[in-house]
Amino acid sequence: MKRRMIAVLLFVAISMSATAQSPLDGLTEGDLVDGERLFRIHCARCHGIDGAGGEGSNLARPRLKYVSDDDALLGVIGDGIPGTGMPAIWTLDEDQTRRVAGYVRTLGRLEVEEMPGDPIRGQTVYQTNGGCPACHIISGAGKGIGPELTYVGDQRGLDYLRRSLTDPAETQSQTSGYTDYLIVRLRAGDERVEGLRIDEDAFSVIIRDISGTVHSFRKEDLEEYDKVFSHSLMPGYGGALNAQDMDDVVSYLMSLGSEE
Amino acid sequence: MKKLIIALLALSFHANAQVPYERLRNAAHERDNWLTYSGTYWSERYSALDQINKDNVDDLKVIWAYQMQPARNAGNGLVETTPIVVDGIMYVTEPPSTVTALDARSGKTLWTWSPNIPDEVKHIGFPRVNRGVAVLDDAVYVGTLDARLVSLDAATGAVRWDVEVGDNHIGFSLTLAPLAIKDKIIVGVSGAEAGVRGYVDAYDSATGELEWRFYTIPAPGDPGSETWQGDAWQTGGGSTWLTGSFDSELDLLYWTVGNPAPDWNGDVRPGDNLYSCSIIALRPDTGELQWHFQFTPHDTHDWDANQIPVLFDAEFNGEDRKIVALANRNAFFYLLDRETGEFLHGNEYSKQTWATGLDENGRPLVIPGSEPTYEGNLVWPSLQGATNWFSPSYNPETGQFFVATRLMGAIYYKSDVEYEEGEPFLGGGEQALSGDNASGAIRALDVMTGEQQWEFMLYSPPWAGVMATAGGVVFGGSNEGNIFALDADTGEPLWDFQSGGAVRTNPISFAVDGKQRIVSTGGSTLYVFGLE
Repeated sequence: MKRRMIAVLLFVAISMSATAQSPLDGLTEGDLVDGERLFRIHCARCHGIDGAGGEGSNLARPRLKYVSDDDALLGVIGDGIPGTGMPAIWTLDEDQTRRVAGYVRTLGRLEVEEMPGDPIRGQTVYQTNGGCPACHIISGAGKGIGPELTYVGDQRGLDYLRRSLTDPAETQSQTSGYTDYLIVRLRAGDERVEGLRIDEDAFSVIIRDISGTVHSFRKEDLEEYDKVFSHSLMPGYGGALNAQDMDDVVSYLMSLGSEE
Repeated sequence: MKKLIIALLALSFHANAQVPYERLRNAAHERDNWLTYSGTYWSERYSALDQINKDNVDDLKVIWAYQMQPARNAGNGLVETTPIVVDGIMYVTEPPSTVTALDARSGKTLWTWSPNIPDEVKHIGFPRVNRGVAVLDDAVYVGTLDARLVSLDAATGAVRWDVEVGDNHIGFSLTLAPLAIKDKIIVGVSGAEAGVRGYVDAYDSATGELEWRFYTIPAPGDPGSETWQGDAWQTGGGSTWLTGSFDSELDLLYWTVGNPAPDWNGDVRPGDNLYSCSIIALRPDTGELQWHFQFTPHDTHDWDANQIPVLFDAEFNGEDRKIVALANRNAFFYLLDRETGEFLHGNEYSKQTWATGLDENGRPLVIPGSEPTYEGNLVWPSLQGATNWFSPSYNPETGQFFVATRLMGAIYYKSDVEYEEGEPFLGGGEQALSGDNASGAIRALDVMTGEQQWEFMLYSPPWAGVMATAGGVVFGGSNEGNIFALDADTGEPLWDFQSGGAVRTNPISFAVDGKQRIVSTGGSTLYVFGLE
């Protein structure tokens, strides 16, 4: 069995690499403890006491949407993100900002995990028996019905990936508390449509069906409208793939987007 | 000759709006204008115009739009302004503290004024916002993010005077629309999340001189100081960040007070913590306190009482009463006698899990264990409350009280905290139930009973207020960009418009050239709607 270590946490990756430079280099454990204290004061109001999100986004992830690297993280804290609720935190000095940033990086720490199978073989299963490209895009290839998986190895851990294959509904992700890829079923006159919720407000709903066609409705025209929580369009693969195939596909997904 | 003089007078009147106090006091009779933040001193946010009504509201179209300019300093902000409209001129604020005068007929800019806000300006616990101006005589008054109050010439935007209301370095800021009463400009402060000691100020409208200051957190020896221990009062919060209401006959100013500091760790400030989370009635000439009523004693959820107090007169239990109504962030709706502060009625108008009800004096019967904990504690409503700063509306013709409601719970956390000057002083945080686990609603209440008549569901908890009109319509907005009109009798949607940006303002109405207009915003664009 081919084994490889994945380090998805930049903080850890940097500390292990002699060449990479980060403004967070040199932070001590004491600095991170102080960073946690400062986080609770300055950030917890929106991001939650554990960084798991609230009015602000979930920071307990290795990859953050507006943060390409540690410099960008310092910038986001110091300057805010225009057009979002993220304000500039002027009240932190430079050292304090570094300590908070260091602590934020620890929130996104995933355990360094060992691959359970062979990612090369997993890629083949993904493309053949799995039939996954029918709904997912990796590096530009496939169809965009479900989430893009190009960077999924950075975004998710082993256990989550395995569960997402065996029980897709249980691992549906959320954006700002809204279930991603939520199945909705509706009827407008004779037209019945089932698909994934793309957008919704008090007056309208937009869905995309399995063929990729977008349907836009006014709610006043709907005779039936159901949101199907705890279900996913993706089939569970627990019975479809044998244990070895499953391990290999999970390993392939773990390899995607990760630092070499 | 006489006719000519009158015509000339009328012309000059139009060109340079003069708004003496008497006009503000009688604002309810000037239905073509919108003269104060909440429309009138009684804060009904109700338009007596009925040209746009439930029969024709679905013909509304955009007459003009104004795109707010990105501020040249202090970054972007959110648009939360309520326009003031005087004789064909509209005054709006743009984040963080810019004032712009627009031709209300065409939307073209007459003048714009931007203060020099330092880049390092502190706004601890809230975004870079401004909620609007006050007008009095020939001046426009604006509070700035760095805690100044500025008087501008209404015709040109030239600065008449500029005074410091509070020290921004320790967290004071101004986001509210000032209130002009007689010859005074009344303002309150933001800053409880920085542990300031809040106050309400009155300034001479002509000179900017401070006339009086009322501290919302009493010093040792002052009435109310028995509700504090030790030095906690010095950093006790109680900010006053939303425009109040005024009864000119009783000569009483009603102002609301925010949370005690620190927000979520009440251990360091035992007691009821007056006058936090209260409404106070002050003499506008002296700032003398006449009465107070505390909605949430010893608050630990950040449930500021900074909501709009709505005044109305009605028979209550067979007696004629002068009443103030307030839909509180803590999810209870209150009626108080506004002469005495006596509690008349209270009921839950939105989901809450922290109190079993109110006692005969209006004091909440708190459920033990509902305060924040180190481990986290799920409570409704979330810290943003069942409602917030955005305005309710009251239709005096039908006795309906409309309120935009946030249906959202949160896991509240407590943490240890020490006061540090000019730093956040919070003592915890929350993890709100968001997305599919939260929603919002426009609710219509019978003002005398607080009973819900109808609700119109919103996709997410709103940040925009409502306005009822004599046309039988209630206007509102959503985070998803919808600007909409509901049937005031049933809550049925009658019209909606996708504005392209989140709506975070209170609607208003005015008329120009005899044509009624409706004003709202989406993102950073201000929209004026009409039938033609």
